[in-house]
Amino acid sequence: MRSQGVGLAVGVGLIWAFLILFLVYPLGRIFYDAVTDEAGRWTLANFHTFFTDRFYLRSLWHSLILGVATVITSSVLGIAVAFLLVRYDFVGRNLFSFLTMIPIISPPLVGVLGFTFILGRAGTVNVLLMEAFDMLRPVNFLYGIHGVVLVETLHLFPMITLNVVDALGKVDPSLEEAAESVGARGWSKLWRVTLPLTTPGYVAGALLVFIWTFSDFATPLVLGVQDLLAPQAYLNIVQFVDRRIFRMGIVISALMVLLAILFLLAARHYVAIKDYSSLSYSRIARRRLSPGRQLLVVTFLSALLLLSFIPYIGVTLASVGKGWALTPLPVAYTLQYYERVIVETPKYVLNSFLYSGIAVVICILVGVPIAWLLGRSTVPGRGALDAVNTLILAVPGTAIGIAYIRAFHFDLPGFDRGLTSFWIIMPLVLAVRRLPYTVRGSFASLLLVHRSLEEAAASVGASVARTFRDVTLPLIWKGILVGSLFSFMTSLQEASAVLFLALGGWESITNGIFAFYIAGSANEAAALGVILILVAAISVAIINRMAGTRMGGVFG
Amino acid sequence: MIVDIQGVVKRFGSVTAVSAVDLTVADGELFTLLGPSGCGKTTLLRLLAGFYQPDAGTIRFGDRVVNGLPPYERRIGMVFQNYALWPHMTVADNIGYGLRLRRLSAEQVAERLREGLRKVNLVGFEARYPGQLSGGQQQRVALARALVLNPDILLLDEPLSNLDAKIRIQVRAEIRRLQQQLRITTIYVTHDQEEALSLSDRVAVMRDGHVLQVGPPRELYERPRTRFVADFVGTNNLVSGEVQGAGAGGGGELLVRTALGSLRAIAAGAVTGRCVLAVRPENVAVGAAGADGGNQVAGRVSLVSYLGNTLRYDVETKPGLVLKADIRDPWHHEPLPVGRPVTLSFPPSVTLALSDDA
Repeated sequence: MRSQGVGLAVGVGLIWAFLILFLVYPLGRIFYDAVTDEAGRWTLANFHTFFTDRFYLRSLWHSLILGVATVITSSVLGIAVAFLLVRYDFVGRNLFSFLTMIPIISPPLVGVLGFTFILGRAGTVNVLLMEAFDMLRPVNFLYGIHGVVLVETLHLFPMITLNVVDALGKVDPSLEEAAESVGARGWSKLWRVTLPLTTPGYVAGALLVFIWTFSDFATPLVLGVQDLLAPQAYLNIVQFVDRRIFRMGIVISALMVLLAILFLLAARHYVAIKDYSSLSYSRIARRRLSPGRQLLVVTFLSALLLLSFIPYIGVTLASVGKGWALTPLPVAYTLQYYERVIVETPKYVLNSFLYSGIAVVICILVGVPIAWLLGRSTVPGRGALDAVNTLILAVPGTAIGIAYIRAFHFDLPGFDRGLTSFWIIMPLVLAVRRLPYTVRGSFASLLLVHRSLEEAAASVGASVARTFRDVTLPLIWKGILVGSLFSFMTSLQEASAVLFLALGGWESITNGIFAFYIAGSANEAAALGVILILVAAISVAIINRMAGTRMGGVFG
Repeated sequence: MIVDIQGVVKRFGSVTAVSAVDLTVADGELFTLLGPSGCGKTTLLRLLAGFYQPDAGTIRFGDRVVNGLPPYERRIGMVFQNYALWPHMTVADNIGYGLRLRRLSAEQVAERLREGLRKVNLVGFEARYPGQLSGGQQQRVALARALVLNPDILLLDEPLSNLDAKIRIQVRAEIRRLQQQLRITTIYVTHDQEEALSLSDRVAVMRDGHVLQVGPPRELYERPRTRFVADFVGTNNLVSGEVQGAGAGGGGELLVRTALGSLRAIAAGAVTGRCVLAVRPENVAVGAAGADGGNQVAGRVSLVSYLGNTLRYDVETKPGLVLKADIRDPWHHEPLPVGRPVTLSFPPSVTLALSDDA
């Protein structure tokens, strides 16, 4: 017993050491920077500068508007799709159920690039429109806040769908039947009973959509929108000329973290984000729609999916197309861009897989024990562990990237370089960013394993470690695998944090996409994007097979 | 193996689940902890298993103090309410898991596995998974898993509560047969008083973390010492009253003043002042009694329940005071209509005066 207690204490100590070193300390560092000046003196001047600068204030205001607008549009689409998929039966329902998950895996930068190929000023649609109607000026579909909302919505509405589908699956049909028995029907039942029951799942999804939009700097920059917080933070940091502006970048990222935490707390206050109260999914009787209505539903979903798939079409065409300028489609096709990014400079793909692979291993080594501590142990500080884990979901990647630059710049003992000069910083930041998915995946499946199964093992003589190996692990490995696969896939796609940490010669795929795009070789960027999309699609197919459409538990 | 529990206390926060319990279970005895949910019976069992550690007191298995030992060092066998069969292991793997942990040779494992399967009549089911078994079969696998290790103590936590009524009686008999055959000290937790009476050598009735009474089933049924035990074990008519003095029958008989008049009763221990009278429905006759008389109460039939093997009358004797009386041979009885005035009679020998612990 005693040696076990010591082992437990050491394990808990290691987990906290990891979290403090690679999450709490870096974030603390940017807050420290935000309230000190160059000489290290305590000051509020930085915030004074921010809140008296009209441009910064406008950026803040626009960021909030953008976030709210995207949440509203994604909610309308996401909830509608969720209800159609869960409650009704129509031709191709299963196919649609799978396809609506696809937009979410579009890598951040690739998505918006794909949109510009099709809907941009010289994109396919405008070329066709100008030819057909003799227009002199292209239609501005994308450039401006409205374009950011459009791109983010079509990217993120599945996040709402997944969470609402998950929540709807947990609503006991008898609750709705009870509503019907007292006379509630149609909209009244939906509004007073069904929607309130799905609120916890919905709020979790909405929060993620908000924070994602709020902290994405790549999409606005590609669309020429700079007066938002995230792009400002990025631009201020990557210019290495003016120390004062650099510091303002840190201040903005600290502010973004503060706001994200605030939204998280607000959402938590409103509903418990982590709602596993009911893990049993009820069997749902789907209503078969009449042929006419089926046609309507299928048309709506097809149109929505066509829009969401624009980036995929655009990126795929760009990755194999030659001479695609001022024509609706490329004039010739080639594989030379793939050759360049796979054969000539394989480092992007190799590095990405290496980093994400290491990140997942760290996620499992740290995340599974955290899940076990949360679900099975009585060690003190579990509440804090849970809070930190949820916090990670809310912290913008931009802020983490900036925090790492600030926190790990100092020379390591025995080296004349800081941790930021070693490639290992990339898997580390990825592991921290994706840790919650592994923890949640493992925790959710751990909750499904009744404790008496473990007690039974103890009663026939199995120690705690033995019980975990022989009983617990075989029953939860699927959950761990699903969570880890999701961590892996999203690690490959991580842009915001790693863009700050790119090292010459050690770039990841997303670094490569950004570099090619900035250098004007959109085709190579597109080829890398297609590779990311393919890996993601395969991962989602596997996850979908293993976990059904119940990914909501992982996202939420 | 004797199980000795001395002054054991278990608290959860501000709730005391088990408070200062003393019990001794004899070697080879089937001992039942009986009580309503929340009475602390399962907590006490889990203290014995080692899933909880007591806040005070000592637990001994034989002369070995087991306080502080984890479950896997206590040499117990446990059967869980939900069976707790490992869904990813076959029947053979479930039963053999503990054997393999003990580093027995392959032949020994196989031999004891066969023996275990034979004991519970599951030969031929080795390769099945728990999901492919019926509830009764699952329960037998759980029993075999616990017994195959030849544990010192067998712990059973409401093992029959998830089974259908018919199967329950069948498995109940099987548990009793195996226990008698192996003479293994067994502690059984249930809230079902019929189960407790039919299975046990002795029963402890618990409430609010305390043991109220310990005794063989017949003693608990026929001589409950408190109102709670009388009410919880079987069905009883309970009438509050106050001791007036000695009864006419002599031999320790009491005369008790109640809302139904003065009634004659016997007492198991010293009962004075406020008390409660307990009479089982099967001891109450409908209609006036003969010469001896005993206790007689008049009332009106308010409800007739036909139960097949008995017919039960609810008789309202005073507004709000209903006595139950059973007719044990309904085949030869013409039911009385509701509202019919009747006389109920019951001899002093079945009228128990108890201390009122309500």
